[in-house]
Amino acid sequence: MSLALTGTGVTSGIAMGKVRRIAPGELTLPEYSIETAAIDDEIARLRQAVQRSDDFLARILERIDDTGGETARELIEVHRLMLHDPMLIETACESIRTERINAEWALAQQGEILQEKFQRIDDDYLMLRGEDLEQVVNLVQRELASRTSSLLEIPEPRHLEDTILVAPELTPADMTILSQRRVSGLITEHGGLWSHTAILARSLEIPMLTGVHHAAELLMDGEAVVLDGHYGAVLVNPDEGLRRHYSEKLANSRKHHIEMERFLSRPSKTADDKTFHICGNAELPMEFRRCMAAGVEGIGLMRTEYLFLDDHIPDEQEQYRAYRRAIRTMGGKPVTIRTVDAGSDKLPDAIAMKLGTNPALGLRGLRLSLSITDLLKTQLRAILRASVDGPVRILLPMLTTVDEIGRARQLIAECRRSLRAEGIAIDPELPVGGMIETPAAALNVDAMATELDFMSIGTNDLIQYVLAIDRQDEMVAYLYDPANPAVLELIARIVESGRRHDTEVSVCSELAGDAHTARLLLGLGVAHFSMPPAHVPAVKKSLTEASADRCREIVERFRRAGHQDGHRLIKELQEDGGVR
Amino acid sequence: MKKLDIELVNRLGLHARAASKLVQTAARFDSQVWLTHKDKRVNAKSIMGMLLLAAPCGSVLTLEVEGSDEEEAARAIVDLVSKRFGEDE
Repeated sequence: MSLALTGTGVTSGIAMGKVRRIAPGELTLPEYSIETAAIDDEIARLRQAVQRSDDFLARILERIDDTGGETARELIEVHRLMLHDPMLIETACESIRTERINAEWALAQQGEILQEKFQRIDDDYLMLRGEDLEQVVNLVQRELASRTSSLLEIPEPRHLEDTILVAPELTPADMTILSQRRVSGLITEHGGLWSHTAILARSLEIPMLTGVHHAAELLMDGEAVVLDGHYGAVLVNPDEGLRRHYSEKLANSRKHHIEMERFLSRPSKTADDKTFHICGNAELPMEFRRCMAAGVEGIGLMRTEYLFLDDHIPDEQEQYRAYRRAIRTMGGKPVTIRTVDAGSDKLPDAIAMKLGTNPALGLRGLRLSLSITDLLKTQLRAILRASVDGPVRILLPMLTTVDEIGRARQLIAECRRSLRAEGIAIDPELPVGGMIETPAAALNVDAMATELDFMSIGTNDLIQYVLAIDRQDEMVAYLYDPANPAVLELIARIVESGRRHDTEVSVCSELAGDAHTARLLLGLGVAHFSMPPAHVPAVKKSLTEASADRCREIVERFRRAGHQDGHRLIKELQEDGGVR
Repeated sequence: MKKLDIELVNRLGLHARAASKLVQTAARFDSQVWLTHKDKRVNAKSIMGMLLLAAPCGSVLTLEVEGSDEEEAARAIVDLVSKRFGEDE
């Protein structure tokens, strides 16, 4: 009989492996002193790790064919030069000799010293090179971890392929070490879906479950487990059948992934030649680069909550640099920056004190920003300043009344004036859009559309408010239906209003990033989709193979006939929404 | 020991591509090669040193070369810089 534990999937990935439990703080880079007699061996160990890292980069370089472009090639060349840079390796060898410390420690120390130099110069270009340095150091650390010193007891765990790590909690710093050691999956007892650690896990695409109570007591080291992020389940000692099922699923998803990549280069047109637009959702620097690789037309949603995590309120300069860097990475493609959307499920600790009794209906989103205008002004000034580096749009979250748009626009005008007075250049034509995600905004959308330059439907929140369900609450989760007739009615109304006012309507939440529900949106007349870069290939496949007219027909027939089961509609769109 | 001033005439200054070429050129010689910009003196065989100079277009750098092949090394570097690192503009 096998045991199953449940938690919440941070990512929807699957991982299989053996349990390895770790205590807080156990996961550190090995740091120890060495005997004088061992110095030469330790230096040799570092040099060998550098050599293996170089071989690794050389193999990548061989695989980049001419279509990969000069840029990718040059980047790897820069990494190779950094790898052999005397400022890094020679200096690290010097500290092994003089301080008598192990290679990992010496390398980490030198990496930090150089990183600090890169960050001290206020220049995005150098900041990006700092990231290159970090990747190079990580690469060598990974090689050092695979051939540890025979001299000493090495702190466990070091090599984590086929390992599912179980911990009470994990820090962002742990995540760096874990990705260096190629962990298969992660299970934590505590931690939110919107913590820094969770955001990193999603970005690094490491399968992870959180909120698995007593995991460290219930799971034994060495036990075989399957981690299913989609169902939020840990299956312990799976039998032969289950193991086979999941191995096939893993193999299929890898195959599927490779197959999907083909669709990236296709033009964004449906099978009946209707144009659609795909943008990306991104918040961490590496996600903007991934969006570029996925060939998106711009950023449809740059969340900014990330900047406010860990009890930290970022100042104008820090925000300015983050926005400017995103804009520069996108190289002239528009970036839609959403002002901080602190809310029930993603509330930065730094402003959590404003929490009411029912957070979902309380002071959140733009309401919170308008109540602490200093916070919003800092953010607006930073966005305005960054707008000289490329096209930017401001997105206001959680609108309820038209008056809120006016107040936000007033603040934007105020910031614009003060920046001008200070002689700082800004883009004069910066579009301001709003999230339509409350029933009030959706029902009153015509009035909203007259005041907004573009609209973005926040389907996650809209569905929760319309159906009056909290999706985290398992007791009512059965009511969740993205194609419930009431939801369809509202989305159709928003799209129609956008058409009448010639205002762009996009969808940037879960429904846009799912191959099935994307067709539902297409059938409702949506043409702008924004999603995490990893979802672009599957959505693009679904939409390029769809017939926009046919999807529209299916949706209209469903609505006219008064059908109620939205799941049936989604299935029908999948089966019959293509060209006949 | 050879010591002379060189001006960066390529549009992007000492960015990664130019710095890579400079390091690769300097590394071909046995001589020690140093570059100085605004009181910062770095080993020209170090890519990070080059990048940390953060020298834009129009900067004047002081080149110092010392060693058995200093003549050839200096010539190769001056040539590379004056030809804009092979860039178009």
